[in-house]
Amino acid sequence: MQRRGRLLLLVLWLATLAALGWMVSQRLRISTDLRSFMPAPTTPDQRLLMEQVGEGPGSRLLLLAIAGKSDEQLATLSQGLVAALRGDPRYSQVLNGSFDIASLDDRLLPYRYLLSPTLDTQRMDAAFLRDELQQRLEDLSSPAASLLKGLLPRDPTLEVLKLAERWTPPTSPEVRNGVWFSAQHEALLLVQTQAPGFDPDAQSIAIDGIRRAFDALPGHQGATLALSGPGYFSVLVNAQTRAQAEWIGRISTVGFVLLLLLAYRSVSSLLLSALPIASAALVGIAALVWLFPEVHGITLAFGFTLLGVAQEYPIRVLSHRRAGEDAVQSVRDLWPLLLTAIASACIAYAAFYASGVNGLRQLAVFTVTGLLVAGFSTRYLLPYLLPERVRDVADMRWLVATRRFVDALPRPRWIPLLVALATVLMLVFAQGPFWQNDLSALTPLPRDLLQRDARLREALGAPDVRYLLVLASSSDEGVLELSERIEPAIAALVARHVVDTVELPSRYLPSAAVQRERQQKLPARDALQQALDEALQGMPFKPGLFAPFVDDVQRARESPPLTPARFAASPLGQRLAAMLVQRDDQWLGLATLSGLHDVAAMQAWVKENGGAVRLLDLKDAAESLVADYRARILHALLAAAVLLVLVISFALRSVRRAWHVLAPMTLATFLVLAVERMAGVEISLFHLVALILAAGLGLHYALFFERDTGDAAEQRRTLHATLVCVLSALLVFGMLAWSSIPVLRAIGLTVSLGVAFHFCLSILMAPHARKD
Amino acid sequence: MLVFLGGTMLSLCANASAPEDAATARVLVNSLGRPAPARTAFAEARFLKLLDQPLVVSGELAWLGGDRLERRVDHPNREVSSIADGEVTQQREGRPPRRFSLKRAPQLQIMLDSFVALLGGDSERLEQAFAIQHTVNDTKRWTLTLTPRDPTLLRTVSRIEIDGQGNEPRCMRMQETDGDLAIDLLGELAASMPVTPTREALVALCHGG
Repeated sequence: MQRRGRLLLLVLWLATLAALGWMVSQRLRISTDLRSFMPAPTTPDQRLLMEQVGEGPGSRLLLLAIAGKSDEQLATLSQGLVAALRGDPRYSQVLNGSFDIASLDDRLLPYRYLLSPTLDTQRMDAAFLRDELQQRLEDLSSPAASLLKGLLPRDPTLEVLKLAERWTPPTSPEVRNGVWFSAQHEALLLVQTQAPGFDPDAQSIAIDGIRRAFDALPGHQGATLALSGPGYFSVLVNAQTRAQAEWIGRISTVGFVLLLLLAYRSVSSLLLSALPIASAALVGIAALVWLFPEVHGITLAFGFTLLGVAQEYPIRVLSHRRAGEDAVQSVRDLWPLLLTAIASACIAYAAFYASGVNGLRQLAVFTVTGLLVAGFSTRYLLPYLLPERVRDVADMRWLVATRRFVDALPRPRWIPLLVALATVLMLVFAQGPFWQNDLSALTPLPRDLLQRDARLREALGAPDVRYLLVLASSSDEGVLELSERIEPAIAALVARHVVDTVELPSRYLPSAAVQRERQQKLPARDALQQALDEALQGMPFKPGLFAPFVDDVQRARESPPLTPARFAASPLGQRLAAMLVQRDDQWLGLATLSGLHDVAAMQAWVKENGGAVRLLDLKDAAESLVADYRARILHALLAAAVLLVLVISFALRSVRRAWHVLAPMTLATFLVLAVERMAGVEISLFHLVALILAAGLGLHYALFFERDTGDAAEQRRTLHATLVCVLSALLVFGMLAWSSIPVLRAIGLTVSLGVAFHFCLSILMAPHARKD
Repeated sequence: MLVFLGGTMLSLCANASAPEDAATARVLVNSLGRPAPARTAFAEARFLKLLDQPLVVSGELAWLGGDRLERRVDHPNREVSSIADGEVTQQREGRPPRRFSLKRAPQLQIMLDSFVALLGGDSERLEQAFAIQHTVNDTKRWTLTLTPRDPTLLRTVSRIEIDGQGNEPRCMRMQETDGDLAIDLLGELAASMPVTPTREALVALCHGG
């Protein structure tokens, strides 16, 4: 091709990429919610888990501890933080142990007589009022006077304080200077975020808001704010993983570039060979943007990793070019094999699509599109741009020597049998469970953070994240009624120490029926006034002092019962709103449990109750979900394997040749599995994904080694290309294997081992070498 | 500013001789100190806007050392309030104890600040918490007028006046910002609480009528 034509092609290609990049950057919306990376739930528990993971009341709770100053200063900071965060739409609840009457909406204040259980056991008559007023007189002569003086005319029976007591978390920490304190002199707070707990981005915004509010407090210098809770952890893990992946990525990129420069001694070849990969990534993302409303962050991270296979296509082109040969001609010769390689990698990655998980489907779309683009641009665009004069790698002296060494290796027929036997034995005798179902084991937290979490959780009486009591009914009112019905049974369970506390929705809002019952017990204006007058006989209260009280009682009598929707709109109602969720035609009440000591007894009680109440074990449901997930992936992989055999047999026009390609690949894959199992590694989803990537790479090695050209120079070029591919893969994934984060380590170790095994086995099992 | 205000207020309110300088106040406060636990009888009359008549209670005040204070009421109903670690615990016969933060009971905070400083003879602490005005009525009788320095406390309690004779405090008068007033007769004087007290009669009693 002419020089000008080449330049035009390059400019056009780059311009297309730039346009695509711009379009993608405009339309790409990245989601970080881990749920879109989980499979569709099948059991009711799994369905609830999927809705509640990250959104359940427990997982949205952040635990805060302020330390480092005197108790008094810490209490002031705690109050200041609460004042700053309350009313912020990012937080549905902010608690620090002080009860603020102002948080009960003034218009809702009359409802205190319907919310408080006082009237269930007590008539509002002269005797009751007299007793209460007598107590208020004592209060007025006590140190509590200034506390109650303002409240008295409107609320002589102190219903507001009774509600405050009812609504404080039942096992709350010690209160000093008006706020919660831990035994370690930290002021404690509980913040419930609106954002789901396992959406690291949304959580990071919420956490940022808390830190910013804290830093804006006067006198915060010298005090430290520590956070804990699922949301904080998801942010932390996300940031850690990202930081380490980026750090490792930078180093391995430099290494990769150096390796290619060393292999081809040409900067322009290096830069040009990056074009197919860049195109693959951009078109892949464009396809995602076109097909899905949001692209998951994990899809992109994994997707780029899996696209690493495509780097092999330009490398093959560069290595296989003969001196003086036209690049286009060289690619044309290579194309049938390259196409087989591309097709087989696509089949392997397409298996992700069959898994039915949204995130994995995205992964499949991204990688398959990317591989096709990388392959076809390597075939139809790249050769026209490559420099005309290149060095034939076949003449390098070290390569000749290496090829000779490789060819001289003994290749006894029993080697595959021996490896297969060893693999089976290792798999059989490996200790410990085969599968790792606990996803959190892959994103572990520093031990001191977990200890702090446990300590704060205990001090704050914060609910278990693992268990949830689920009340189901056809309406939100129905849930409240059900919650009221089981209150006595729950109290009995608490008395038996089965569980420390259960936070039921009816604790915050009684059902309309109960509210109406309480309304009927409220006296009419005249009757109340009469009772009050009688009670006030001989008491020093000024006449007419309690008119606001009489008005409030009348308002409570006449108002329609407080609905969950209306209550939820007030600051105090947020807690309830988080506990009531609507699903299809059903309403669910989510009651959190603290200190569940006897799971079996709890389950037995739940069973007696029939279907309306269920104990949801989030960990159990999550693990069964992971197992389902894995089963789907394995099935899809099985189908892919069958398809692979067919495609390769068809492409090579020979079952025997297909066997020579597939046997080393299969053997190496199982060998990786066996070695990891022997090393005590439990296999997780991430290992599976990594195994598939390694298998894709191994398949390529085997395909090229199997090719019998009868030309020693071409065999040397094959070795050169494969060596460059193996070394670059080892470089990138070997670095990941050193990571301290298990997810990255799982991928790095598996791919590194896989690449090494695939390479060795495909050389040792290559058929024609024996004929030499 | 607060000192100035306190001073002005005092010169307007007190029909007393010229204010003494801070040094004599310090000497006086130091002379009031006694070892913990220190107990004294008290009788208190509260004049509240909510009520037609004053509320009268009597019992014993005790400084238990440190920041721990106990106020025991024997009459008309038994009640014990104790302060420790910034928390107030209130116990009445036959009822569950009530707890609240000292922050929410400014009167108590002021009582703690002034009492502990006076009984501990700790003039430094007293000066930290209050602007002090010291007046001497005759050779032995004196009045300390304390104005809280903390603006949040000042919002509830405008000043506290302590009358005494020699090294014995006799009276404590707490004037709240909303007009309510509490007068405590201390020590021997506690027995002299009238059945139906008036503000004027009690102030006269404190000044040594």
